[in-house]
Amino acid sequence: MSEPPVVEIADASFGYGGAPVLTGVSFEVREGEAVALIGPNGAGKSTLLAGILGLAEHDARTFRVPTGRGEIGTLPQSSEIDPAFPVTLEQVVAMGRTPRLGLRWPGGRDKRIVADALAAVGLSEHRGTRFGDLSGGQRQRGLLARALASQPQLLLLDEPFNGLDHGSRDALLATIRRLKADGVALIITTHDLELARAVCDRTLLVNREQIAFDETACVLTLERVEAAFASHVMEIDGHTLATTEHHEAEHGVHHHHLLQDDLVQDHGGAPGADGR
Amino acid sequence: MTALAALVDPVTPFAAPFLARPLVLLVALAGAAGTVGVLVHVRRLEFSTDGLTHAVFPGLAIGAMLGGAAGLLPGAIGAALVAAVVLALISRRGQARDTAVAIVLTSFFSLGVVLVSASDGIAGSLSDFFFGRLLTITWSDLWVALALIGIAVALIVATAGQQLYAAFDPVGARRAGLNVLALEVVGNVAVALVVVAASASVGTLLALAVVIVPTAAARALTRSLVAAGVLSALFGALTGWLGLWLVVQLAALGLDAAPGATVALTMIVGYLVALAAGAVRTRVARPRRRGRDLAAAPLARTAAASVPRSHEPVPGTRADAAR
Repeated sequence: MSEPPVVEIADASFGYGGAPVLTGVSFEVREGEAVALIGPNGAGKSTLLAGILGLAEHDARTFRVPTGRGEIGTLPQSSEIDPAFPVTLEQVVAMGRTPRLGLRWPGGRDKRIVADALAAVGLSEHRGTRFGDLSGGQRQRGLLARALASQPQLLLLDEPFNGLDHGSRDALLATIRRLKADGVALIITTHDLELARAVCDRTLLVNREQIAFDETACVLTLERVEAAFASHVMEIDGHTLATTEHHEAEHGVHHHHLLQDDLVQDHGGAPGADGR
Repeated sequence: MTALAALVDPVTPFAAPFLARPLVLLVALAGAAGTVGVLVHVRRLEFSTDGLTHAVFPGLAIGAMLGGAAGLLPGAIGAALVAAVVLALISRRGQARDTAVAIVLTSFFSLGVVLVSASDGIAGSLSDFFFGRLLTITWSDLWVALALIGIAVALIVATAGQQLYAAFDPVGARRAGLNVLALEVVGNVAVALVVVAASASVGTLLALAVVIVPTAAARALTRSLVAAGVLSALFGALTGWLGLWLVVQLAALGLDAAPGATVALTMIVGYLVALAAGAVRTRVARPRRRGRDLAAAPLARTAAASVPRSHEPVPGTRADAAR
């Protein structure tokens, strides 16, 4: 018999007390699976993550998420962190143990878990480095190690690839693949469809309501992405993508997979470029 | 020669109980500086701490009105605890922290002034609390102060990991399931208890120095938080002892200097010395770092990821300046 999903949500809406921000949400995340959460700004992605964490209200037919202390790990955008704060990388990663520890002081086992988390993101040699002295990519991986130190069943990664150079991005992708192999479930918000395809088994596409939830290759079709990003401009690998209704007329194929060649780029030259 | 030796004798004067008691209290306050003071520093609560020193005023007035001199300390503790909780709640309600502190400071202090002006005969005992009575504290005063400091230090030690998380990344701590508001209240209460204990020795007006200056001095000398805690405690104990010793020396010369203020000024001088030492250390270390950076530059250009060159940079550099 297969394991029950780590996250199971059916017919859910999420909000902060007033009108719901996001409605009609039904999806699940299994052990060792990564689900991409994709949608334009204001689509309700952050509200959904907040709802999973219990920080936003939800109304649902089924709502099953990990509830124990430290069972959900989060990776914030590292820009939210004060780089001048006087802590070492190891101290930051050790913070991840505190939800599990309560008022107990860390013991040998906790120190080993912190060391393993640092090794998992490839930063063991920098453990004594002041957090603010690390590069942007290293900080991001350090915060991921902090999330890993709580030994989560579920990891919520909020735009983890933002602002990363290629080296850091590849290292993060490798870490995500290792986590999946270890059975950790992941929900990853990203604007980068290529990266979603690279590591995410399934994709949840939203824009104030759920548009699709299926295998990533099935969800990221031109038609569905246009439905989600109507009138929005998004960036993919540093290129600006404008999704407009012109595509539908010019391509004519609705279930075409969105590949790099299909994107309307600000450099021009791509079919259907509308100059935006 | 004998007279000179007696003049600079650092130990013998403290055999007298009236000097031993304040020394014990200042050493205990140094322990608080190494824990509670570090929390104040990382959470940037210096202004809140100042607000708490003013907030104890109406408590003192109410305590004096109800119980005379014996009511001062309970009154101060009560007011400080109320102020600590109010500060945490107001800043949660969307007010900027400085605005919240200014409102609490003004309202509590005004209330104290109104209470004092409407009562007869309590102004004298209040001046003890404002300006301190370091050399006249009794054994019972000392035990109460030590108990307050002990509770404050225990609160911070027990929640140290969570306090650090909430100070570093309050949003992340909340997402990780920590009760950030409760941690803020616990931190404020610890600061309030130390402020009251310090008020009994150096006075409310100088309590701020005892809590804040040792950590500020330590941070000028080290970037490590753990080392800052240890250095802060050592600094507090050393300058406390030195300040008291100065009081004795000045008394021998016929100068009756206010003991609390003398200790506070000693701490400030110590802080300036630490700043100078930190600056010298930076100046000495900078050419060495620059040389190392130049030597490593060709390698750095070929490296795919940017790796910091120094694992333990010195104070006064870019990141430090931002604080």
